[in-house]
Amino acid sequence: MKSVYPYPILFGDVDLDVLSITVDGTSPLPYSHVSKPERTVALHQSGRENWEYCTLRLRATLPEPEIAAGEWTDLVCLAALTEKATNARTTARLKRSADGAWSGSIDLHRSRHLNRATLGLTVVATCDGVEGRAIGTTAQDWYVDLKGATPVRQREIEIVEADFREGPEAWLRPYKDSLWIIETTGEVPRVYLNTGSVDGFVDMLGGNGGTTAEKLLRDMTSGQIAQDAWTAMFHTAISDLDVDEDGTPVMPTGWRESVLRMMLPDVLPGRQLTDALYDIEERRTKGFGWAELQTTVQYAAGKRSQITKKLTNAVRSVDAAERSATR
Amino acid sequence: MSLLAPVDLPPVFALLPDAAVTKYLSRGIQSGLELPPQVALTRACVAYDARTAVRRQTAPVRELLDEAMGRFPDDRAAADGWLAPRLHATLRMTRAEAADSRLWNHVAMIVAPDYVVWRHKGADSADGRGIATAARFSGLHYTQTFSRLWWAAELFRDGEDYGPVVTACRVQDVLNTTMRLDVIDHRPTAQAMIRVIGGFLDAGIPRPGDHVNAFSAAVNAAGSTLMYDVLAEDVDPDADELLEWIEAGAGEVADWDRLPEGPSDGRVRTAAVDALLPLFEKLRAEAPLRQRPSAGVDEEGDVPVPAPRTSGVVLTKPSDFV
Repeated sequence: MKSVYPYPILFGDVDLDVLSITVDGTSPLPYSHVSKPERTVALHQSGRENWEYCTLRLRATLPEPEIAAGEWTDLVCLAALTEKATNARTTARLKRSADGAWSGSIDLHRSRHLNRATLGLTVVATCDGVEGRAIGTTAQDWYVDLKGATPVRQREIEIVEADFREGPEAWLRPYKDSLWIIETTGEVPRVYLNTGSVDGFVDMLGGNGGTTAEKLLRDMTSGQIAQDAWTAMFHTAISDLDVDEDGTPVMPTGWRESVLRMMLPDVLPGRQLTDALYDIEERRTKGFGWAELQTTVQYAAGKRSQITKKLTNAVRSVDAAERSATR
Repeated sequence: MSLLAPVDLPPVFALLPDAAVTKYLSRGIQSGLELPPQVALTRACVAYDARTAVRRQTAPVRELLDEAMGRFPDDRAAADGWLAPRLHATLRMTRAEAADSRLWNHVAMIVAPDYVVWRHKGADSADGRGIATAARFSGLHYTQTFSRLWWAAELFRDGEDYGPVVTACRVQDVLNTTMRLDVIDHRPTAQAMIRVIGGFLDAGIPRPGDHVNAFSAAVNAAGSTLMYDVLAEDVDPDADELLEWIEAGAGEVADWDRLPEGPSDGRVRTAAVDALLPLFEKLRAEAPLRQRPSAGVDEEGDVPVPAPRTSGVVLTKPSDFV
């Protein structure tokens, strides 16, 4: 949704860059932990468990000609480091240097953050006589991961290999007969693969290459797991919708949001996202039309896990293998 | 009403995964008729690093909770204002630690399930016995019985001064509504809001809850175009002071009658709060009661302004509102 402001805002791009990071005031973090295209910083380093704070050196570029021509005054370039889980908010004002860029630094204290901090930039100015107006922000915020070793923006589903029968995780024991289970209660959805089940099952899944039959089996099984995962994630994502004051459901955050955005167009085709959310919430709470929804949920999950494509490929290659065998 | 209290408390806190709470939480537990299965729950727990065990004793917290139940037998909501600062000063930890919901699960399921029921149990009705909703045992930071108090103290304290926390707890809507907003993560904003709210509470305004909700919505909506950070500059809290305070707290017992002292990690500058007060007073005066928060609260008073800041701010009261 495009926001509308009752005052002039910046049209040009506001860009924020992380130049370097130093840990505990002295040691520089290797730059490989910063990914500019992904706009992500991985702070969790191998070999350094204990650190208290790190300093991020920032550089921002604003659409200078536009600012010079505009009627804004008292321009402030404010970087903010926030995290929802800890309600943390640290801000720093950047200073304008001679070459026209804005630079400065911001400290991230480990005691105030848990998983992932968001680093954003807001340009603030006095506008029509009103102080402190936000007139522009970076199109994409940076993420500072405290628990990731490599900088990746899109958090993927975590895949954990564990022995359900004899492994250390007792809660997995009741599921000892199943090949995999999906768990969606946490920050990141997890797929647990049972190493104590069929011999070679996990190796087969993790391998690449092998005979045609092996590839087939791998494709089909991973497709099946993906289907299960998508279905479970969808149900989790819609199970706990917060509602607005007038009863409109609010889009959840994190992976739940991504899942809903991806799947809702297939689950309720032709519907606006907010309408679809409203509809789903109503069906879920009132029970009306919930059963009908299952078909489309299954269809959407299948589409995302590309199960049809995999199945088609599988059938074709089995067919081909059989034909060459009988020939 | 006498509630079943757990016996054989574990000596130190631990981390209890959400999944374990979901698995064992039953209506019997929620209504206070039975205790959670301690042995099974304890088995599901993950222990903290043994080096920090000294400051994770359960006994001082349990004592506090018993005292709270004894002090406020008839007005359980009033216990919040007494307990929040004392819980914060007893259970000393960093925000990173407090953000771990598993700790709060442990307090609610193992250390003091009886307190959860005592504080949040709904009235018995024709449909059956009243219960404390599951979200009071394991839930978001502004819903769970203990984390909401700890976070209220953390977000509304002014350095070592817990005074504003007590004010915040006078109306339930501050904890239920205001605490959900992202704008209060900016300390001067939180302090200025409490000043305004304290002001109209002292004036004895009728329907204080509605005023808090309307005012919070107005501040939040205006905050989507106004950067309070720029209007009222804040200084970073001193992280070292906080860590020292946490270390010093091991074995310390909070005073039951006098307000304890929090970490002196830096107070909010008076000038910063003063800078926001006139604006907030104006917002409060103009905030329409019981109306959509996005309409007519911006300074121009006509355009609903969608928030450019991160989404996810909701102003609803929880349905299990007590």
